[in-house]
Amino acid sequence: MVLTSLKRTLLITNNPLVHEKYADKQETEFVDDGFQGVLKAVRDHVHEGYRLLTHPLSGSVKPNENPYKTVLLARSFANTDADSVMLVEQCIITAEKFEKKVIHDKHLHDLQVVDLSLISEVLERNRAT
Amino acid sequence: MKLKVGYIEIRDIMTADKAEVRDGVLYVDTKALEAIALEDEHIKSVKFDVARPGESVRITPVKDVIEPRAKVEGPGDIFPGMTTKVATVGSGTTHVLRGAAVVTVGKIVGFQEGIIDMTGVGADYTPFSATNNLVVDFTPVDGITAHEYEAAIRTAGLKIAYELGKLGKNLTPDETKEYDFPSLMEGIKKYPDLPRVGYVLMLQSQGLLHDTYVYGVDMKQSLTTMLSPTEIMDGAIVSGNCVSACDKNTTYHHQNNPVIEDLFSEHGKTLNFSAMIITNENVYLADKMRSSDWSAKLVDYLDLEGVIISQEGFGNPDTDLIMNCKKIEETGTHTVIITDEYAGRDGTSQSLADADAKADALVTAGNANQVVTLPKLDRVIGTLDYTEKIAGGFAGSLESDGSITVEIQAITGATNELGFSRLSAR
Repeated sequence: MVLTSLKRTLLITNNPLVHEKYADKQETEFVDDGFQGVLKAVRDHVHEGYRLLTHPLSGSVKPNENPYKTVLLARSFANTDADSVMLVEQCIITAEKFEKKVIHDKHLHDLQVVDLSLISEVLERNRAT
Repeated sequence: MKLKVGYIEIRDIMTADKAEVRDGVLYVDTKALEAIALEDEHIKSVKFDVARPGESVRITPVKDVIEPRAKVEGPGDIFPGMTTKVATVGSGTTHVLRGAAVVTVGKIVGFQEGIIDMTGVGADYTPFSATNNLVVDFTPVDGITAHEYEAAIRTAGLKIAYELGKLGKNLTPDETKEYDFPSLMEGIKKYPDLPRVGYVLMLQSQGLLHDTYVYGVDMKQSLTTMLSPTEIMDGAIVSGNCVSACDKNTTYHHQNNPVIEDLFSEHGKTLNFSAMIITNENVYLADKMRSSDWSAKLVDYLDLEGVIISQEGFGNPDTDLIMNCKKIEETGTHTVIITDEYAGRDGTSQSLADADAKADALVTAGNANQVVTLPKLDRVIGTLDYTEKIAGGFAGSLESDGSITVEIQAITGATNELGFSRLSAR
């Protein structure tokens, strides 16, 4: 099983910085929606036969504090990956319990930078191996 | 490995022209410390302030808290691989300026978090209301990236703490403790009838604002490994973690890990403290699988009978925690996990983002969603500009009278998952 070939991976993001940096390097789907919208797009792809490569709740900035989310998936050649289905569903439930917060526009760029950093650590490292 | 730790009690910090410790007072030469901070080209200016227990002072946004220590005798130096040469620490003699802490403050990103109140309700939720704090507020040069700024503050904070620690090197400690961590075979021979217990310390390692360094190595690049708990007392593990104020382990927490302290106090009495294992919490699921596999393999190989596992942070580390717990239990070793909870403001929601029936022994460090109102304090060190954005704060949380209504997750160390906190249940 190949985990690291980027040709088989799909990046789902609502973060413009991530899209800008990686869209021409690997298959990327931009979701024009919030945190939950990304998780739900991830869930839909998991049901279509993708499996999770990164944890949907990456980062300790809480789901209601950072509207940006990027998740890396891999095309699966087997049936729907049950572990991925359970994990993403659990993450959707966890994210829903946080109360809505107002996020100032002035912080959006910094929040994008943190989300970009978390996914870059994965993409750059595994690109090199 | 044997380490003698001498504690020098510090009851106040004052600025002076000559840096020294005299009669329990730490006198700091801020000009000399400023020069150390400004060695880094990324730092434009630095401001020093002292916050004492009981003062009407709020410090925010806190990045790290560091205890000044000095290596008096034995190989290596404090913070090896970070601000001193790589060499194995954890043996010989170390002196601690107990009661003093360096608190670094800096707005690395706009939503930076972490509150320390030195008095009032908030003081009850953070251990750092009881320390005399030298607060160092860093302003970066223009155009710096968040990564560069984080690294600059992290390093400067360690260097300043190191410099202060040296002032205790030639003093006679008020109290001395000895920590003896024998080799595996020695321990078994010495305590053949006591259960062999290990500790799996999970370290945050995801990326910017979420990192931990071990002998200078970014922990996300390591597999699960082992070291002596006494090495940690000498600063082998430092924090690069700035988010999740309530449950991140600051460098101070690592230096004073209470799980290690308690295991040592029971060592040779009710248990045989046999192994100290450290593992990471990465974003990549394959890393989570690998690292938890390795934790379980080490525990199995060492034939431990019981293991304590502590987590750091919220969300996806819950998955690492449960993987570690489940896989270690499957080797036939009993586990107790330490975590905190995000159970909603009324405490009725599911606490963790993951669960397993094998996780049947758990110590909780509290509900991070619990809401408190912190009164207005006379002085703010740092800035309140971002208060409504820090984790646990919410829109309108900064009231016009200066009080702040927050979830306790905004308070530095409130639900620390090493148990270094004041919360308990009745």
